[in-house]
Amino acid sequence: MLQLNNVDVCYGSFKALNRINMSVQSGELVVLLGANGAGKTSLFNAISGLGRPAAGAISFDGRRLDGLKPSAIVSAGVVQCAEGRKLFPQMSVLQNLMLGAYVHRRDRAGNRQRLDEVMALFPILAEKGQQPAGSLSGGQQQMVAIGRALMSRPRLLMLDEPSLGLAPLVVKQMFEIIKKINGLGTTVLLAEQNAFAALRIADRAYVMENGQLVLEGDQDTMLGNEQVRKAYIGA
Amino acid sequence: MNLFFQQIMNGLTLGSIYGLVALGLTLVYGILHIPNFAHGALYMVGAFLSYFLMVDLGVHYWLAMAGSAAVVALLAILCERLVFHPLRNSPPIHDKIAAIGILLFLEAVVQMFWGADFRRMSSPFTGILNFDGLIIPEQRLLIVVGAFTLVAALQLFLRKTMVGATIIALAQSRDGAFLVGIDANRVAMMTFAISGALAAIAATLYAPINLVYPAMGHLVIMKAFVIIILGGMGSIPGAIVGGMIIGFAEAFGGFYISTAYKDIIAFGLLVLILSVRPQGLFAKGAH
Repeated sequence: MLQLNNVDVCYGSFKALNRINMSVQSGELVVLLGANGAGKTSLFNAISGLGRPAAGAISFDGRRLDGLKPSAIVSAGVVQCAEGRKLFPQMSVLQNLMLGAYVHRRDRAGNRQRLDEVMALFPILAEKGQQPAGSLSGGQQQMVAIGRALMSRPRLLMLDEPSLGLAPLVVKQMFEIIKKINGLGTTVLLAEQNAFAALRIADRAYVMENGQLVLEGDQDTMLGNEQVRKAYIGA
Repeated sequence: MNLFFQQIMNGLTLGSIYGLVALGLTLVYGILHIPNFAHGALYMVGAFLSYFLMVDLGVHYWLAMAGSAAVVALLAILCERLVFHPLRNSPPIHDKIAAIGILLFLEAVVQMFWGADFRRMSSPFTGILNFDGLIIPEQRLLIVVGAFTLVAALQLFLRKTMVGATIIALAQSRDGAFLVGIDANRVAMMTFAISGALAAIAATLYAPINLVYPAMGHLVIMKAFVIIILGGMGSIPGAIVGGMIIGFAEAFGGFYISTAYKDIIAFGLLVLILSVRPQGLFAKGAH
């Protein structure tokens, strides 16, 4: 479904990503592990068009994504839920969600149905619908961010560290919801530092270090891998 | 007492015009972070276009206003496409220099066609209403009603339509807007168009009680900057409230202190308010 071939991303003379080759198959939940600064966000931004790869090819269902505008990439079905959430803080929760449906704005009936599905997934958002998104707790804001991304009707949903800065109980809930979203048919690419929790819901995982993919494997291999256990799980 | 109400009416009139001009300025600043010094030139071009349509072509006032708003909206889009868009990745000072360039260019073009003379443009609303001794010229009433209607319409557009919401979204979070697939170019063009149309309408409303000349935008744009700094850069309610504050201060200051000092009052207020609230009255990003 998603295919990256030899993707490089540079900031000036600094090479943030070096020859990335990866793929995500339809229906999978793939986890991208890596420490701060490993290049996870650079990779996501390159895919979603916020950044531009210096070399290599990114394709989605056989169609080249690199070089397209972010809006065209969202329309193609690749939606990023960014680290730090990037909500519209002074708009209500409902307005935030509805802006998620911007590329589908002509299909009002479809958007209403989609909104019901998102509310079913996050019942708390129905209660807080009229509040400014910026006034919510961290966990609730993260739900708005994921809900807004779902309103764009992604076929591939990219979640960048959704557990960042959340209380352990909320983190657990967040991973259950991500698993549920994947179960409902959305392919998920999840960047995480919380390796153990992420690997427990993953089909496959990649490990990234200093802008390179250094390891790849399915759930069992990764959970059993000595290197992964030492570096990311601490057991 | 009547004189007092008269000043209220004058304050409302001035505040309406300033508010409309400042609104366009603050919208553009809020999403593109460009202090558009050329905004006053758009205002001036708007007045000349209405003048041309009415006096030279004999078009009705309302049609002239609509025509001028449409042409200036187009002109504003051209400024965005041809000047500001290519400069989007340059240092911020380039935008400012370019904006001053547009200002000088538009003034020179207008002067080439119409000369530097002061011109009078009359509207069909020359009557004077007398409410029990309170005298209100029709044109002033039109300015106030027109401005309030426009602001209400703009609010409805920004709050109730998805296309309008994209403008606010881009102002509140640029990355967030990209993530939901909002096309920044479209929003930038739309914002410039709205800003230009507001300036042209304000100029057409105000011209019949003032004069039309190439330098007419100077003082208006200076005050519009004062207003958006007062109100908080990028804030829509700030522009409206700020406009009213300056309008009222000028009307009352001009009457009770001295008309000679009325232009100083705006800038005096700026110094005063900024020394108490340096972030402006409504500074919390765009609302």
